[in-house]
Amino acid sequence: MKDYYDINELSSKVPDPPVSNLPIEEKAKMEFGPLTSNKWLSVAQLDPNEEIKPSILDEPPYFIVLTTYLDYLVFLLIGHCKDFFGMLLMPQYFSALVAKDGYPPWYSAFESFYPRRLKRRLDDCFARPIHGVPGRFMNCFNRATPDYNESFRYDGTSTPCLNLSSYNYLGFAQSVGKCTEDSIEAVKKYGLSSCGPRNLIGNTDLHQNTERILSKFIGKEDSILFSMGWGTNAHLFSSMVNSKCLVISDSLNHASIRFGIRLSGAAVKVFPHNDMNALEKLLRESISQGQSKSHRPWKKIFVCVEGLYSMEGTYCNLPGLVSLRNKYHFYLFVDEAHSIGALGEHGRGICEYFNINPNNIDILMGTLTKSFGAAGGYISANKNIIDRLRLDITANNYSESMPPAVLQQISTSMRIIAGELNGNEGKERLQRIAFNSRYLRLGLKRLGYIIYGADDSPVIPLLLYNPSKMPGFSRKMLERGVAVVIVGYPATDVISSRIRFCMSSALTKEDIDRILAISADIGDELNLKFSTGIAGGEKNPGDWKKGIRPRWSIEEVLAKTPEDCKKKVLY
Amino acid sequence: MFSVGVVSCCVDFEAVKKSNIYFDLPDIGDILVIYTSSSTTIHQTTMSEVSAAIASTKTVTATIEQAQSSSFLVGLAYNANNVWAQLVELLMKLPGGALIINYIKASHKNDPWRTVLEVLLALFAVKYFLASRYSQDERDKMVLSKRETDELIEEWTPEPIVLDVSNEEHWQLETNPLIKGPVTKRVTIQNYDNSLTEDVLNFASLDFLGMSMNNTVKDKAIECIKEVGVGACGPPNFYGTQSVHVRVCEDLAKFLDAADCIIYGQDYTTPISVLPCFLKRGDIVIVDGGANIALQKAALISRCNIEWFNHNDLDHLEEILESLTEDLNQGPLNRRFIVTEGLSENFGDSPDLKRLVEIKNKYKFRLILDESTSIGTLGNNGRGLAEVYNIPRSDIEITIGSMARAFGASGGFCVGNKDMIYHQILTSNAYVFSAALPPYVAKSTSAVIQLLTENEKSGQVNPYIAPLSDNSEYLHSLFAGSPELKNYITVKSCGYSPSLHIRISSALRKELNLPESYGGPGSIVLKAVKNGNEELYFDSLYNLESYKLQEIINESAKSKVLPTRTKRILHHELLPVVPELILHLSALQNKNDLDYTYSVVSKAIINTLDNWRAKGY
Repeated sequence: MKDYYDINELSSKVPDPPVSNLPIEEKAKMEFGPLTSNKWLSVAQLDPNEEIKPSILDEPPYFIVLTTYLDYLVFLLIGHCKDFFGMLLMPQYFSALVAKDGYPPWYSAFESFYPRRLKRRLDDCFARPIHGVPGRFMNCFNRATPDYNESFRYDGTSTPCLNLSSYNYLGFAQSVGKCTEDSIEAVKKYGLSSCGPRNLIGNTDLHQNTERILSKFIGKEDSILFSMGWGTNAHLFSSMVNSKCLVISDSLNHASIRFGIRLSGAAVKVFPHNDMNALEKLLRESISQGQSKSHRPWKKIFVCVEGLYSMEGTYCNLPGLVSLRNKYHFYLFVDEAHSIGALGEHGRGICEYFNINPNNIDILMGTLTKSFGAAGGYISANKNIIDRLRLDITANNYSESMPPAVLQQISTSMRIIAGELNGNEGKERLQRIAFNSRYLRLGLKRLGYIIYGADDSPVIPLLLYNPSKMPGFSRKMLERGVAVVIVGYPATDVISSRIRFCMSSALTKEDIDRILAISADIGDELNLKFSTGIAGGEKNPGDWKKGIRPRWSIEEVLAKTPEDCKKKVLY
Repeated sequence: MFSVGVVSCCVDFEAVKKSNIYFDLPDIGDILVIYTSSSTTIHQTTMSEVSAAIASTKTVTATIEQAQSSSFLVGLAYNANNVWAQLVELLMKLPGGALIINYIKASHKNDPWRTVLEVLLALFAVKYFLASRYSQDERDKMVLSKRETDELIEEWTPEPIVLDVSNEEHWQLETNPLIKGPVTKRVTIQNYDNSLTEDVLNFASLDFLGMSMNNTVKDKAIECIKEVGVGACGPPNFYGTQSVHVRVCEDLAKFLDAADCIIYGQDYTTPISVLPCFLKRGDIVIVDGGANIALQKAALISRCNIEWFNHNDLDHLEEILESLTEDLNQGPLNRRFIVTEGLSENFGDSPDLKRLVEIKNKYKFRLILDESTSIGTLGNNGRGLAEVYNIPRSDIEITIGSMARAFGASGGFCVGNKDMIYHQILTSNAYVFSAALPPYVAKSTSAVIQLLTENEKSGQVNPYIAPLSDNSEYLHSLFAGSPELKNYITVKSCGYSPSLHIRISSALRKELNLPESYGGPGSIVLKAVKNGNEELYFDSLYNLESYKLQEIINESAKSKVLPTRTKRILHHELLPVVPELILHLSALQNKNDLDYTYSVVSKAIINTLDNWRAKGY
C-alpha cells in the first residue's frame, strides 16, 4: 500500500481477490515451499530413555513488569476519562451502551470496556481479511483506517506475507495436490452437504470410511466425527457427566472444554497448569471427601487436559497423568486439538510422542482443522463408549453432519501422513515441521527472546510483556512481509502478552532464516530481548548461572543453529 | 494500624514490669488490655493508678472495677502503653503522622466506644482477608488421617464412563440409515446386513431445496476449493476471515434485509453461543415451551431467569408478561428477551409473528427468532417467517439461521443490529475460540442466495421455493385429509411446513396405554438427571413407541420410501417429548412421488399400528 491516500478513493468494502496470473507451479510453491536440503529434517519424538524436562519459565526484569502494569494503568485511566467525557458530551457515539426508549443497552459499558478501550487500539492487527490459500504465504488485503480502527478502508491490493499464524502444521492448506483433487471429486460425487443430522440421514459410506481411517490412525477401537471442533467439546460432556460427577480441569484448558463442562452441570475443580503434585493432592482430597456437603462419593471423576497447549506451547505431562490414573482410577480426557498430526514420529499425537499406548487414555478428542487442513472434530474411545455416544450425544441427533469435501480432505491427508498415499510425502511433512519448530525456537532463544514451551512444539510463543509492544511487533512484521498473531489479556495473564508463531511444514529453512533476521531487528528496536538464558539459548551450558545472557548476533545464529537444533539436548 | 498495636503489646511482658509507667491519656493500648482480660486480678497499687488514669472515661470504669487482674496484666498494660508511646513518636516523624494521631485522639476522646468498634472492625477485616476463599468448603471438610484417606481412595470405584448400549436399545444403532453415495432425492441405503436397497425416495433430508447437488452451486464451490483449498486454518479473528466469508455475510444480510451478519461453524451451536452473549445472571428470558433443544440449552447456560410460555400460545405469553410487569418496573433495567422459533422443529408450526412483535414492543422485550428451518422454506422468496407476515427484519432484534438446511451447505448464522453483531465478534464463545467456516461453504451459500434472488420478481412465485411449498401443502392434505388414517394418527404440523410431523392419535395412545408425552418437568428422567442416576435415563415405553415408528420406516423403506422419526434424547430435553414420524419434503419431488409416498407410508402405518393393537406388547 502506498504511504498517502485520499481516503475517498478507498472502499469500505473488503475487496474481491485480485485475479492472479501465477503459473500453477509458482502457486504451489507459494502454498508449500519445496524442501531445500535433506539436512533440514528432524523427528519430534521423545526418546524412551530420556527424562521429561519440566518446562522452565524465564522471568522478565522487574523494570518490564513494572512498566507493563503502568501501561495498563494508563490505558485504564485514559479509557475511563474518555468514557466519562464521551458519554457526557458526545452520547451519539455510545448508542450501544445506553438505555434507549425503555430498552436496556445491548451490553454494559463495564462489560465492554476492555474491547472498546484497549483492544480497539490494536484492532488493525486482528481479523485482517485475506484471500487465497493460508499456506506458506498468505495474501493480506492492504487496509487503512481513517478513524482509529473504527472502520477500515481498502484499495483493492494485497500483499503476500509469510504465514506464521495459521493452524497449518503439516501444510495441507493447499489448492494444488492430491487432497484438493480428491475433495473436488467428493463434491462432484456427494454434493456439498450431508443434509441432516448423523442419526437421521447424514451418515454416508464416506463418513464410515473416514472414521475407520481415523480410528486406525489414532489407535483406538472406534471414533465419531463432528462437523465443528469447538462443538465437539461443547456437547460431549453433557453425555458423560452429571451434577454428581467431578471434572478436574487444567487451569489453561481451552474455552470449549470449559463451556462443555459448564453445560453438563458437573462440579469443576481446577489445578495449576501441569502441576502433577497439586493434581494428586486435589485427587486425594476429592476422592476421600466426596461431594461437597453430602460427602457421598463422586459418581465419576474426569481429569481433562490438552495434549499441546495452544497459548503456551507446553505438553501435558502424559506419563505423570497415566500413572496417576492407574493409582486413582479416574477417567482421563485428552484434547489433542493441536498435537494430533503435529507430534510424534508418525504424527499420531501426544501418545506417540511420549511412547504411551492410547488405551491408557479413556477419551481422546481432537480437531481436524489444524494438521489436516480440514474442519471439525472427533472423539476416539473404546467401541462400547462410542456406541453409546453415537446414540446419546446431542450433536449426532440434532446437528448437521460433516460435509463430504471436508471428510475427503481428512481421509486423504491422513492416508498421506500414514504413508499409504504419495510415498514419503507424509514422512517429509512430519520431519519438516519437527525441524522448523526446533530451528525457530532455538534461534529465537539464542537471539535473547523469552520463549515458552517445549522444544518440539510447533506453537512458539514469544513474550512481549508490554501491551503496546503487541501492535508494534505485529505492524513491523507486516511491513516486512510476515503475518503473525498477537495474544494478550484476557487470553493470557495480564502481564504476559505475546506473539504466537504457529510453525508449518510449508515453510522452508530459508523462510525461517528470514524470520529470524527480521525478529532480530525488531527485537532491538522494541527492546524485547530480556532472556536470562535459564530456559536455553546459552553459548556454553551453565552460562546463565554466571549471569551471561544469550545475545547472539544474527550471523552467529544463522551459522550455527540449523545444525545445533537437531541435537537431542538443546541447551 | 490498630491491630499492629495490639500484636506488639503482647510481645514482651517480662520487660514491662521494669519499665516506667507512662500515662498521659487513657490510651488505646490500656483499654484494649483491660477489655481483653477482665477475668484476672490486678496488683492493688498499680490498679489505683490505672483506674485514676482511666477515670476520665466514665464508660469503662465499671469494667475496671470488675477486673481484679494479676500483675501479669498490669505488665501488659504498661507494655502496651510503652509501645503506643513509641508508635506515636514514630508516627510523628512521618509526614502526615501528626494528623493521624490527632484524628485518633480526637475520635477516642469524643467517643471511646467508637475506638472499640473500630478495633473490632479492623480485626474482622484482617480475618476476612486472611480467610480462604472457599471457607464454606473448608468448613464442610471432614478431618481424615492419611490412612483413612488411603482407605477411602482404595474403596472408591467410579461408575462406568457411559452405560453400554443395552440389548433393548441396540436396534437404534442398527437402524441409523447408512447411505451409499450422495444424499439426494433418491438414495441407496446400505442395510445392517450389508444388503443394498437402491433408488429409495428420500424424505429424511433437510436439504429442502435440493441445493446440495445443484450443479451451479457445486461449480462455484469447486472453483473456490481450486482457489483456496478446503480448510480455513484459523479462527476468524486471526487471519481466518477470507474475502468469501465477508461476501457471504454481506449476502445474507442483504437477502434478509438486516444491518449485519456473523457466521458460525455449525448450526446447532449457533444459538448456544449467541444467547449467552446477551443474557447473564439477572437478565430475563421467556422461551417458547416447544423450543428446540439448542434454544433450551442456550437459555440454561446463560444462567438468567427463564420463564416458559405454552407453545405458540401468545395469550399465555402476554399473561406472563403482565404478571412480570410490576416486578420489572421496580427492578433495574435488565436485558429482556422473548425466544421462539420461526418454524418449530418439534411441531412444524409457526407463531403469529405480527402479534408477537406487537406484544414484545408493548412490553419492551427484545425478540430472538430461530429461523433455522424457516429461512429458505417459508415466504414467497424464502426470507422466512418475517416475509410471510411482512414484518421488517429490523423489528426482530436477533435472527438465527442455518446454512445447513435449505441452503444445502453447512454452518449457522445470526443477523441483526450492527452493535449486536459487533459484540458477538468479541465475546461469542463459538466464534472467538473456533476455526472459521471452510471458505467453499461460504462461497456455495453465496451462490444459493444468488440463485434465490436472481429469479425473484415481484408478485411472481420463486421457481425454487414454490415447488417446495406446493409439495408441503399437497402431502399435508393427503395425510391430514385421509379418513382411513384418522383413527391412527394426528398430523401435528401445518400445511406450510416443509416437514410433515405425524403422531399416534391420542385415542390410540390411550388404547395402547401410552402416556401423552415423555420426559419434561417433573418426570422420572429429569429427576434421574438431577440425581445423576444414569440407569433411569432409559424409558422402556419411549423405546417401544420409537421402535414401532421405526418399524413403519423399515416397512416403507422396503417399498422405496424413506421417512424419518424424531430421535430426541429424553435426558437432554427439558421439555416433554412425543415421538413422531417425520417426512421432510424437497422441492425436487413431484406429485407422483408424493402420491406413491402417501400410499406406501399410510399402508405401513396402518399395518404396524394394527399389529401392535392386536398383539398388545
